[in-house]
Amino acid sequence: MENLIYIALFAPLVSSLFAGVFAMSPRATFVGVISSILLLVSFFASAQLAYFVYSTNAVIHTTMMPWIMAGDFFVEFGFVVDHISVTMMTVVTLVSTVVHIYSIGYMDHDKSFNRFFSYLSAFVFSMMVLVMSDNFLGLFIGWEGVGVCSWLLIGFWYHKPDVSRDENPSISPSWAANEAFIMNRVADLGMLIGIFILYWSVGSLKYDVVFATLPHLSETVLTTAALALFIGAMGKSAQFPLHTWLTDAMEGPTPVSALIHAATMVTAGVFLVIRANPLFAMTPEVSFFIAGLGTFVAFFAASMALVNRDLKRIIAFSTLSQLGYMFAAAGLGAYWIALFHLAAHAFFKALLFLGAGNVMHAMHDELDIFKMGGLKKYMRWTYIYMGVASLALAGIPVFAGFFSKDAIIETAFNEEAYVLWGMLVVTAGMTAFYSFRQVFLTFAGVPRYDTHHLHPHDMYRYVLIAMSPLALLAVFAGFFKEEFEAFVTHLLPSYHMSEHTHHLVGLLTVIVLGFAIGGIYLAYKKYYNGLKRDEKCENSFIYKLLVNQYYIPHFYEEFIAKPYTMISQKLWQEVDMKIVDAIVDAIAYFFYNSGDVTRRMQTGNLSHYLNWMAAGTAVLLLAAVLFA
Amino acid sequence: MDNILTLLVFFPAIAGLLGFVIEEKSMRVYGITVTVLEFFLSLWLWGIYDGANAGLQFVEFVPIIPSMGVNYYLGLDGISLFIVLMSTFMTMIGVISLSIKKNLKNMIISLLFLEMTMIGVFVSLDAIIFYLFWELSLVPMFYIIGAWGGPLRIYASIKFFLYTFTGSLVMLVGMLYVAYAYHDLTGVWSFALTDWYSVVFSVDAQMWLFAAFFVGFAIKVPMFPFHTWLPYAHGQAPTIGSVILAAVLLKMGTYGFVRFSLPMFPDAAVIWIEPIAVLSLIMIIYTAMVAYAQKDIKQVIAYSSVSHMGIIMLGIFAMNAEGITGSVFQMIAHGIVSGALFMLVGMIYDRRHTKMMDQFGGLASVMPKFALIFGVMLMSSVGLPLTMGFVGEFLVLIGFYHVSPMITILGGTSIILGAVYMLSLFKKSFFGPVTIEENRTLKDLNANEIWSLLPLVVLVIWLGVYPKPVLQPIDNSVHALLKFMDEKAVNEETKALIHVATKTKEAK
Repeated sequence: MENLIYIALFAPLVSSLFAGVFAMSPRATFVGVISSILLLVSFFASAQLAYFVYSTNAVIHTTMMPWIMAGDFFVEFGFVVDHISVTMMTVVTLVSTVVHIYSIGYMDHDKSFNRFFSYLSAFVFSMMVLVMSDNFLGLFIGWEGVGVCSWLLIGFWYHKPDVSRDENPSISPSWAANEAFIMNRVADLGMLIGIFILYWSVGSLKYDVVFATLPHLSETVLTTAALALFIGAMGKSAQFPLHTWLTDAMEGPTPVSALIHAATMVTAGVFLVIRANPLFAMTPEVSFFIAGLGTFVAFFAASMALVNRDLKRIIAFSTLSQLGYMFAAAGLGAYWIALFHLAAHAFFKALLFLGAGNVMHAMHDELDIFKMGGLKKYMRWTYIYMGVASLALAGIPVFAGFFSKDAIIETAFNEEAYVLWGMLVVTAGMTAFYSFRQVFLTFAGVPRYDTHHLHPHDMYRYVLIAMSPLALLAVFAGFFKEEFEAFVTHLLPSYHMSEHTHHLVGLLTVIVLGFAIGGIYLAYKKYYNGLKRDEKCENSFIYKLLVNQYYIPHFYEEFIAKPYTMISQKLWQEVDMKIVDAIVDAIAYFFYNSGDVTRRMQTGNLSHYLNWMAAGTAVLLLAAVLFA
Repeated sequence: MDNILTLLVFFPAIAGLLGFVIEEKSMRVYGITVTVLEFFLSLWLWGIYDGANAGLQFVEFVPIIPSMGVNYYLGLDGISLFIVLMSTFMTMIGVISLSIKKNLKNMIISLLFLEMTMIGVFVSLDAIIFYLFWELSLVPMFYIIGAWGGPLRIYASIKFFLYTFTGSLVMLVGMLYVAYAYHDLTGVWSFALTDWYSVVFSVDAQMWLFAAFFVGFAIKVPMFPFHTWLPYAHGQAPTIGSVILAAVLLKMGTYGFVRFSLPMFPDAAVIWIEPIAVLSLIMIIYTAMVAYAQKDIKQVIAYSSVSHMGIIMLGIFAMNAEGITGSVFQMIAHGIVSGALFMLVGMIYDRRHTKMMDQFGGLASVMPKFALIFGVMLMSSVGLPLTMGFVGEFLVLIGFYHVSPMITILGGTSIILGAVYMLSLFKKSFFGPVTIEENRTLKDLNANEIWSLLPLVVLVIWLGVYPKPVLQPIDNSVHALLKFMDEKAVNEETKALIHVATKTKEAK
């Protein structure tokens, strides 16, 4: 079994290094093919491990080698394959494999094709380290590793120039990449502090040691540690107020958005909360804060998605919103439901993004859904895929999202957090509306693009086939809810609805469904038969507020980025040069000048010297008299 | 091999003297040969060094002025071993990558003398010998900046010389006082560090002595507000000068704190934690901001050095093995990474004769190999796990967290601010479209440049993934140091603050 762990873990690394060897050579399809095969190998290994854990309920632990040691501090590269990590491994490698194959088609004409696969596989490797590590510092390796890969991939088209924010809200790929990296670093500091607290109060960073010691720790330590770790999670999972990087990250190639900024990396924060559930279960205040923030983000992000015109940004907002749902579940103690939604979301959201990629491919990188329409004629399969994914996202029965999202909303009700419940229900309606607004504006109605120059066509057949596993899972994954629950609750606390909720389950489902279907219907009415611009609405304050993302990016620009630059400038030119350095020079010049002045005593004239001697004697005598 | 340290110290100097009779055109090969031999010699030293023994090894002791207790006294432990290795390594890499054509012979001779003084500082166990090497190291660097530097080279080199020299004089006074105190106590003169360690000073005396040594070391580090000589020195120095300056010379200051201040004045060191932590914080945050404001790539790296030295200072005063070991490791890591970054800046300067960021942009597409190596070093500089930069920075921060969570959080902002100035540098120079016509035809790294950078890349990753061979010996010696400080301390508060590891894990 150990071999399988290392195969699952290192196949992506081998893939990355292999593609890296060709990074500076001309595009070669075999690089993409071999990378995809290696990822498939990793997937099979993960699946076999999953089967092993499923059939034996055994947890596999392996230690590769020691890493850092100093004083009492000791950390090894240790990996654990248990119910949680194996679920993540399977999901990650499955989506990654699909995205790798997809990228062979999507990146077809890009001259940096080989480099792309190198980065993409490196990301998968980091993600595997993140989910498989058996200690917090190992998780942190993966955590930072995915951050760097995300930086590389967002800025993949680094040659594009910076433009104004009005022209492109993300300014440029390299700008967006830096923003993502730096914002994540802010959160990573929180994560590091959490690690420090745990180390000095437990003496180890291994999950099992830490969790076993938790009952002996004081409440303050637990709360600060949980809060610090969650700050880390807020960065990676782009929770408010560290959320702006995620929509800007859409500057990256679409397969990247599908894999990193929807299915895997951004869920790392949720994974952390699930992984450290014993800690969060003991800190109810922090957990409730998580649930509250999650619900708020779910609503907040969905509101921005309502009015956005950018194909990818709508999906990005929707990702943010769904991450909020996951945090709500985890914060309310329903860890397995959070994990279930994480997995289901990975499938349908990746599918949605890949579908968007097909549309972009057909529309020559046009992203404005107001300039699309009528594509269903030319892109039947993509239409079906995106429709299925949107139905799953909207939470319509039989599709995966129904089972997972509904359970979260029910949990909120069950916990008697009625405000959260209400917001989550309303958000479900908004989700349905913006998803289908996007689908209808893209595929239904009449073309709004230049039909003379653009002749849209569907993606290569093999790419469409490669997407099919995701589509199947988006449809059927929900049926395995009970098996999934039985599997992961070996490790995660089980969560049961109370008797009261159980009675009302029918009614609750109907309410949520009502909102979802209502949202779809509204979108159908407004957008199915083409786009009718509503000038009055578009000029209203709320619309502007939403389009400008509540002016938060502007706020960051004006109140953080600009002052920081200005203060830095001042510190350099005014403080460092004119005060600190000037004092040093002044002292030096004082000695120099005093020497220069006193040099005049050395005239060579004997009588001058005699005068000075007499004066000196007088001063000395005076001093002797005074101090004697 | 009893005299290996003497050989290590004086081989470069003797080779340097012989260098005067070597022909100019074969000087390059000669320089490379000598520094490679020297590096292998130091590698061999590592090979025969006993990692399990925390004490001083390869000790040599020859009386010079017996009546004054001045001896030729050398030795090395886990703390100095790797700094010595790093010095020989960086000198070798520096000489291999040397692109200077003008007066190459004199340059190499200066470097070889400089190598002697650097290694001399790190292996001396006699204060007078230490002081000699310490001051002598100024001379070759003074020449290197003054003779091969930029337009302001005279100002910069004199500033460098006088500033650090002034600090050293104050330190010398401190040394003489310690020698007197030792004489008062025992009736004999001695400048041997091991003798000095045994003197227990009153807390008052410790405070004064600590301050005297502090001035000498702090200017060398350089700590805020004594850092302003550094940007000038780096700005004017030729590439090789910056590489050695950043990689090795700055470490003399931090090494001094570990070798002198901590074991000799443990109580004063503990009392000084707060002011030093505040100065370190200013170094970390303030210079990181100043680095962000720079327009010249080399100045960014120069200021970032100060910022990283702040982390190292913080670790030394963590008073636990996590922090101090991390700090010594970070000295090595910073030496390699900043050395590499200065080399990279030098390579682009050789091509374009400018270091201003606004003169570049889009270099990643013109010089992909250059961008790749720069990127690796950048990531190590901002402390990415699995590179060298992370191990030291992490250990320092986790160590200092035990002393003060608040200061650690503020110091931890270095991971954010470091990313801010480094990524903005990378974006301005490497990303975006190529806007300046001249940059379109820039040549990527040539074979010689790649071969001199590749070892650095390998080291940065190897020691990031598997730092054990380096960490273990350092940690053993640091453990012994802390135990010694704990036993020697006068104040109860000092004993309470010094955290000696329990060493439960199997000692390999």
